[in-house]
Amino acid sequence: MRKQTRRQFLGTSAAATATFAFPMPAILAAENITIGAVQPFSGGLELFGNQAKLGLELAMKEINDAGGIMGSKVEIKYEDNKTDPKTSVERTTSLIRRDNVLAISGPITSSARDAMTPMINRMKTPLLYATNYEGGACSRYLFGFNTVPNQELEKLVPAMFKNAGNSFYMFGADYVWPQKMFEAAEGLVTSMGGTVSGKEFTPFGVKEFAPVIRRIKDSGAKVLLFALPGADSITFIKQAEDFGLFEDVTVGFLGFAETYLGAFGEGKGQNMWVTVPFVASSKDAATVDFVSRIQAAAGKDVPISHYVMTHYNSLIAVKGALEKAGKIDRESLIDGMEGLTIKTPTGDTVIGAKDHHVTMNMFLAKTEGTGLATVEALGQLAPKAGCA
Amino acid sequence: MAVFATLILDASNYVLILVLVALGLAIVFGLMNVINMAHGEFLMLGAYTVLVVENVGGSYWLGLILAPVVVGLIGLLIEEVVISRIYHRFLDTILATWGISLLLKQAIVLGFGPASFSVSTPLDTSVVLFGAPYPVLRLFIMAVSLVVVVFTFWLFFKTRFGLAARGVIANRDMASCLGINTRLLDRLTFSYGAALAGLAGAVLAPLISIDPQMGLGFLVPAFLSILVGGLGTITGPIIGAGLVGATDNLTATLFSPVWAQLVVFVAAIIVIRLFPRGLVYSRGREL
Repeated sequence: MRKQTRRQFLGTSAAATATFAFPMPAILAAENITIGAVQPFSGGLELFGNQAKLGLELAMKEINDAGGIMGSKVEIKYEDNKTDPKTSVERTTSLIRRDNVLAISGPITSSARDAMTPMINRMKTPLLYATNYEGGACSRYLFGFNTVPNQELEKLVPAMFKNAGNSFYMFGADYVWPQKMFEAAEGLVTSMGGTVSGKEFTPFGVKEFAPVIRRIKDSGAKVLLFALPGADSITFIKQAEDFGLFEDVTVGFLGFAETYLGAFGEGKGQNMWVTVPFVASSKDAATVDFVSRIQAAAGKDVPISHYVMTHYNSLIAVKGALEKAGKIDRESLIDGMEGLTIKTPTGDTVIGAKDHHVTMNMFLAKTEGTGLATVEALGQLAPKAGCA
Repeated sequence: MAVFATLILDASNYVLILVLVALGLAIVFGLMNVINMAHGEFLMLGAYTVLVVENVGGSYWLGLILAPVVVGLIGLLIEEVVISRIYHRFLDTILATWGISLLLKQAIVLGFGPASFSVSTPLDTSVVLFGAPYPVLRLFIMAVSLVVVVFTFWLFFKTRFGLAARGVIANRDMASCLGINTRLLDRLTFSYGAALAGLAGAVLAPLISIDPQMGLGFLVPAFLSILVGGLGTITGPIIGAGLVGATDNLTATLFSPVWAQLVVFVAAIIVIRLFPRGLVYSRGREL
């Protein structure tokens, strides 16, 4: 190691003192805007973390290529939360304290989000949450850029009535999101005069679904509302297919993403109905363009789900909000985002001034061949975020 | 009657799946005293072997034959490099094999990505059993499990290899004095345990999602089977798997999967409390 001479030491300390002595203007054109991203890049949900990153990267590149935000370049600092709430909090803390980020993007799971929320509130740093969830996360510092239960269910349940039948069976993983989803769905089904012939939950990591499949079959239900995320859902669909469940039951798949496609195997997992904020196979010009931009960056084979778009949108919203507010700091970002309308690949999206959740275009679609096919564009659906 | 029969059918299906998974673990854990936390990942490697064989154009059946060979060889390598150095440090085997499990998992993430895959379903038909269609694939899995159990018993009780292996377990020093190559037997036994996991993974591959995390869902009930059944024998874990599997499946059928998990764990705690050494345990020398 090179030894530091006294002269050099004096020189550097003088420079350092000078830096502190002269106050910087509040907005420094040359300074970068740093956004922290706390996403799962290991530990089970890396698939979703990677989808989020695709969207964030594209938004960052496009913003910077167009001259940044009021002259400042955007940079994203990624942190791996290992799909773990405790790690999420640690990473969030260090991003805010050490890296002084303007806002945090992420995470995916509700448990990680709930763990991070107190820190976000205490440090008065906005959280840009772009995953579909159960609703009810309401704070000045939290913005939801994806759907809450009513946006997914309001049109899906009637569509299942029309196309499959009026008796519903609900099956999902045993945690808060499926439970809230089914609560909302039950209300919808009974208000339309349908019946709920069964509702059950399963722990994570179960590998044998034969008893559940038999029960669904015996219930005589025509529709299966299905809210089992991740690899477990693939295991279930495969086994249900072997037992011939889908000969008389049609699936309404909640929390669907294009990342599932291809994992079901050839000719499997057909005719499953979903409502999503983005369908990659759409023929709409703006969507086609968005898909080609992602593919240019990440290759032809990568699946592009709504997570890519919602995370992209969240960064576009940051740009819109800061430009609207005219200055770059956390509170201005929040003020700017409230009531903001942003242009997204699927049309205009409005951020609620009070509830901080988004009104956006939704699509009814179903799995067909190796992809997702749009059945109907549902137009703008407002969120019932539960922030009374 | 038909309801009762399907109940038995589903339960025995799950029991036999569990036996298939637990057997390799039982041989390594019960006979060699190595708690192999990487057993689930050996199973995963078996499933990925089938996936690779299918991707290069081979059939599922070729994958099924290759999987135990490939995983057995990987097991042999791991035994030589890591396990052979820690036989006398019981607790360290947990740490070492857990490390191996993380290593294998991340290697798969690097090689194949974190996404789920599936392989084609062989025997993609069903037969009507007790008034309801039943997938032929599941019958095949049950058959494989039975064959493997019979073969393992034959191997350990009717062959010279088995006699020597049981001799080493009963009294390692004495066996060594009598001219038995104990190192060779350790290698072969561990490798056989790994190969069984690979076979289980390949057999189960068409039934489940193939992903880097797939091993864990089987490892927990398999360990439970061994704890309930007892260490040091081959019969113990099979009885354990029978009890754990049947309890799980019947509770899931009669109540719900959430209750099933709860009931299985409570029952296991009670059994372990009442029979601390398991339901079947070896009194010294017998296997």
